[in-house]
Amino acid sequence: MPLISTSSLTKRYGSSVTALDGLTLNVEPGIIGLVGANGAGKSTLLKILLGLLKPTSGSATVMEMDVATRGPEIRQYVGYLPEHDCLPPDVSATEFVSHMGRMAGLPPAAARERTAEVLRHVGLYEERYRPIGGYSTGMKQRVKLAQAIVHDPKLLLLDEPTNGLDPAGRDEMLDLVHRTGAEFGIATVVASHLLGEIERVCTFLLAIDAGKLLQSAPIASFVERTGTLGVEVEEGADALAERLAMAGLTARVDGRSVLVDCPDERPYDIVRDVIDEMGLSLTRLEQRRHRLEDLFRAEGRADDAA
Amino acid sequence: MTRREAAVAPRESATGAIYDLGYRGYDGPRLGRRAAVGTLFWASLRAAFGLGRSGRSKVVPWGLTAIMIVPAAVAGAIQAVAPGGLSPFNYDNYLWDLQPILALFVAAQAPELVSSDQRNRVLSLYFSHALARSDYALAKFGAMAAALFIVALAPLLVLLSASILASPDVPGAAGDQLGNLPQIVGAPLVYALPLAALGMAIASFTPRRAYATGAIIAVFLVTAAVGGILSEAGRGRLSLVAPLINPFVLLDGTRDWLLGNSIPDSPVSHADLDLWVFGTLTAALTLIGIVAVLWRYRRISA
Repeated sequence: MPLISTSSLTKRYGSSVTALDGLTLNVEPGIIGLVGANGAGKSTLLKILLGLLKPTSGSATVMEMDVATRGPEIRQYVGYLPEHDCLPPDVSATEFVSHMGRMAGLPPAAARERTAEVLRHVGLYEERYRPIGGYSTGMKQRVKLAQAIVHDPKLLLLDEPTNGLDPAGRDEMLDLVHRTGAEFGIATVVASHLLGEIERVCTFLLAIDAGKLLQSAPIASFVERTGTLGVEVEEGADALAERLAMAGLTARVDGRSVLVDCPDERPYDIVRDVIDEMGLSLTRLEQRRHRLEDLFRAEGRADDAA
Repeated sequence: MTRREAAVAPRESATGAIYDLGYRGYDGPRLGRRAAVGTLFWASLRAAFGLGRSGRSKVVPWGLTAIMIVPAAVAGAIQAVAPGGLSPFNYDNYLWDLQPILALFVAAQAPELVSSDQRNRVLSLYFSHALARSDYALAKFGAMAAALFIVALAPLLVLLSASILASPDVPGAAGDQLGNLPQIVGAPLVYALPLAALGMAIASFTPRRAYATGAIIAVFLVTAAVGGILSEAGRGRLSLVAPLINPFVLLDGTRDWLLGNSIPDSPVSHADLDLWVFGTLTAALTLIGIVAVLWRYRRISA
């Protein structure tokens, strides 16, 4: 059963701004990354799926229910984490999450019980009894996630869940999202403008740009194609690239690193031998995954050329 | 879909071992839209009195409620000390005399119920649940009306119990007072519904609480002033419609029309108008207010 499917979905704001432009897609359950630059139409798509916005034209279904006619029914089984702040400062996390649980249809006792459970799951302990106004951004993001899963949704829509977090907070949030999606089996859509994040937690990628579908495929299919080896040396990157090219590899210089295409295992040995031969001091050898971003760069160039 | 039951694994912490039971699904009932509306109504009614919130948010609603009750309590106490004395208050004039307090309660608490959800953008969470936009608007209006009803009813109940307890024959007095029940319940209703509609209609249009409070106070002040000036200075037609400008005069006229007993210090008694005019205008004001709130929430982006 398709989780989400849209057909020539278009949304215009006023006469000049087109957020979605004839978007047609079909997505199966999993952890789906929705990636695109700011303003690409990610939030608009999520809001249409929730029934918060009406599309200008086209149609969409969530769990085989039409968003135009069965909005309230869909929303009972969907959890939503908005991109922006959405928490009242003067109530505690416990009170707020349990209130949202009841808004989602949980009976009072179940709402209390599940509130305690999901707040523990997102890692809020003693502070859950304090007013939300005093929380750090990281804690607020956790409360936002908790209110989205308190009613055990079948589908979770997360709009920029790492918004405003520091690197450590990002890691924790991504880990939480991954656990929620993978271990608990809740189908999840994560919208983000950061490819690295999508790569880390998602199994499927939807790339949109200017309201159009750019790419829709399992993440694995990108990782295969993105086998690039980054070789960072103290000095002599140019000479190294030359020598590697002579050895029959595709290599280009990128700052202090040399990027080598690795379609198979063979380049690893060649790189090792060449560096040894040249007596270069190697500082880093790593698998690069730049191709996912190249996806957008290539598209951008094509647009410029056109 | 698989739900993994995580192995029970103790984790050390300051408070001892925590057993991670993992995430559990929920297979119980989902109550749907009506329960959501009920939840929102009760939560908003609690919020109107600052319940479940910090002490600071209780100051205004409880302070105003206390001020509302004090005159009734004092009048009751005097009656107990000197039975038979003439009390300045009765069920008909009490709300009219304390109208500034009711106005302040609307001005302070209507924005409390709606501005914060807009300012903090909690609305997008509400609208992403099984709740229609009109449900949200009506639940908030209902909560405001209920809060006003409670604040208006409380002092009348104090008056009632004072007059029963001060009487030498308590059961007899209780029986006598039974006939006053329509006034005791009716007058607070007549005040609560239109005031809530007016207050919510103004408050729902801005996320800024202070603006909303200021605008509501301004409406009451300006209408009272204009109505007063017109009835003093105006001649002919202008002075005829003057009593219809101040919403509180409309409310007293409606109360008089529905429940009887005109009070001498209200402009209604000097107005050269049929009482049904007040009633009709009050109903229209209430309806316009509710429609404005519904319209606002239909349009607002979330």
